[in-house]
Amino acid sequence: MAYRGGDGPGQPLSATFPRVSPGGLSTFRTRTHNICMVSDFFYPNMGGVESHIYQLSQCLIERGHKVIIITHAYGTRKGVRYLTNGLKVYYLPLKVMYNQSTATTLFHSLPLLRYIFVRERVTIIHSHSSFSAMAHDALFHAKTMGLQTVFTDHSLFGFADVSSVLTNKLLTVSLCDTNHIICVSYTSKENTVLRAALNPEIVSVIPNAVDPTDFTPDPFRRHDSVITIVVVSRLVYRKGTDLLSGIIPELCQKYPNLNFLIGGEGPKRIILEEVRERYQLHDRKIRVRLLGALEHKDVRNVLVQGHIFLNTSLTEAFCMAIVEAASCGLQVVSTKVGGIPEVLPENLIILCEPSVKSLCEGLERAIFRLKSGALPAPENIHNVVKTFYTWRNVAERTEKVYDRVSLEAVLPMEKRLDRLISHCGPITGYIFALLAVLNFLFLIFLKWMTPDSVIDVAIDGTGPRGAWTHHQYSHNKRGGDNNEISKTR
Amino acid sequence: MEEEQSFSDIYGGRLALQHRYYSRSCREFCLSCPRLSLRSLTAVTCTVWLAAYGLFTLCENSMILSAAIFITLLGLLGYLHFVKIDQETLLIIDSLGIQMTSSYASGKESTTFIEMGKVKDVIINEAIYMQKVIYYLCILLKDPVEPNEISQVVPLFQSAKPRLDCLIEVYRSCQEILAHQKDTSTSP
Repeated sequence: MAYRGGDGPGQPLSATFPRVSPGGLSTFRTRTHNICMVSDFFYPNMGGVESHIYQLSQCLIERGHKVIIITHAYGTRKGVRYLTNGLKVYYLPLKVMYNQSTATTLFHSLPLLRYIFVRERVTIIHSHSSFSAMAHDALFHAKTMGLQTVFTDHSLFGFADVSSVLTNKLLTVSLCDTNHIICVSYTSKENTVLRAALNPEIVSVIPNAVDPTDFTPDPFRRHDSVITIVVVSRLVYRKGTDLLSGIIPELCQKYPNLNFLIGGEGPKRIILEEVRERYQLHDRKIRVRLLGALEHKDVRNVLVQGHIFLNTSLTEAFCMAIVEAASCGLQVVSTKVGGIPEVLPENLIILCEPSVKSLCEGLERAIFRLKSGALPAPENIHNVVKTFYTWRNVAERTEKVYDRVSLEAVLPMEKRLDRLISHCGPITGYIFALLAVLNFLFLIFLKWMTPDSVIDVAIDGTGPRGAWTHHQYSHNKRGGDNNEISKTR
Repeated sequence: MEEEQSFSDIYGGRLALQHRYYSRSCREFCLSCPRLSLRSLTAVTCTVWLAAYGLFTLCENSMILSAAIFITLLGLLGYLHFVKIDQETLLIIDSLGIQMTSSYASGKESTTFIEMGKVKDVIINEAIYMQKVIYYLCILLKDPVEPNEISQVVPLFQSAKPRLDCLIEVYRSCQEILAHQKDTSTSP
């Protein structure tokens, strides 16, 4: 099929040279993978997917794999860049269409992606986020080239409105011949399996993680004369800002020494400001403080000022915010939606129905527990929570998925077409089967234009054994637009 | 001492690299592409003329035929004089500097010289170029104000675009001379 088939130089080089990861973590591995993470979302854009890709890649490099990241160019940041530990990032000059997602024609990215896959000797393509067109493109091309594919879904979708029906159809097409899918919680798995009509056996659940050293408690930062409830979320419908606007007046009237600290920005901010005006919660002393948009590094400083963390989300695949809050030693009150009940054990979280009444009851329970002094110290909570979700654990579990996937056979073209036609409905199936054939012909044309043997193998700079760390010529540091290759040998 | 090796460029075409070692501190690298082949010349001429004849049969205006002749002639002259580079030479002398010469197929030569004081380093870099990601050799120039910063990147062998193995060969030799130059400049 692709270059792995024939006698081309496509076989992974590192598979024959086992590398040992550094320090006490060293586990002697006989198999290492060349992994390519593809997503439209990566730094300098900020968000959950971005940090997930970065942290996962770093932990996989630590475990001896070779990892590269492909994303689209952000402003002047284009070309090839290196991050910590020689993590290589390709910022490809593709047009951004909407919301940082690239436009797709399903074909135009093939030449460049194929060139990178060949030169980096990639064996596994790992795409992230169903909103990213580039991730789906890469899956499509990788399957044409006969590479193993893994997809991570980071979000939950509905089934009812037009946009979700269309996205779900695309997801069905994209995932029906993907080797393995990773979801962040069991609820998300259920959702993805239903949306994309998948076999649940090829869907794994690997939760997100938090960096526990970033979220440490600091009890001296909060004032114990008042009780502070912290909310950190985007102020949008999906995050339940309307519920929040119902809770604030009710509780503020009942408890005179209760404050709200709200971090985040969004279209629903106006509602909260209205509530504050109407109930005059800003006179004398400020009882409801709106902090506006927070940078990720400031979140911890806001969290440690409070006693109780409130999450009012209406839908959530895996709520990172409540883990971060619990890691800072706060009591967590949250709605019981999506994957949230799986995230924390019962003694660390108070779950409520997504209604004002239920959430108020939950908060009152939390306040009562706080006043009675029956709570464990924040330091203890932190020590418990920090063992729950670590990136090393995530990397270990992801590695198992890679190990499993690398033993599987990639569907040959005729089976892939069968699968597309039988899985995706008569019309969509035939359209995408035709596109798959066209893509395959395009690939043959490209291989004729630039055979694999003409493509230089990229120097492996990742990890402690990478080309950067042992060199005989002086290492030259430079900023500017380009990165240097200091040759060794 | 002179030595010739054969490499290929990023499209798979053949390139010849000639080293000339004049002394320990002076080396010359000469990359030559194959000359314009008769086959491609004939192919291009035939296509233009066939297209012209096609148009001629449609609108029966003999101006088209004479225009086609002029276009081929001028195009060929322009191509040989401004586009087609036959040879790129890199001369590096450690106490003086780096000289880059490109000779066009028509015989025109253009030369750039960078004095050693401005050169910070010679490196191999990666860039995205025309649906490809390629390695290229480039010279880093020092910023006149802040000597640790880089003011400019000058790519080498821009038209030949050799592959990595060839670049490594040139890179090593350049580094040897740069190291030699640093030794002599620090301990006079």
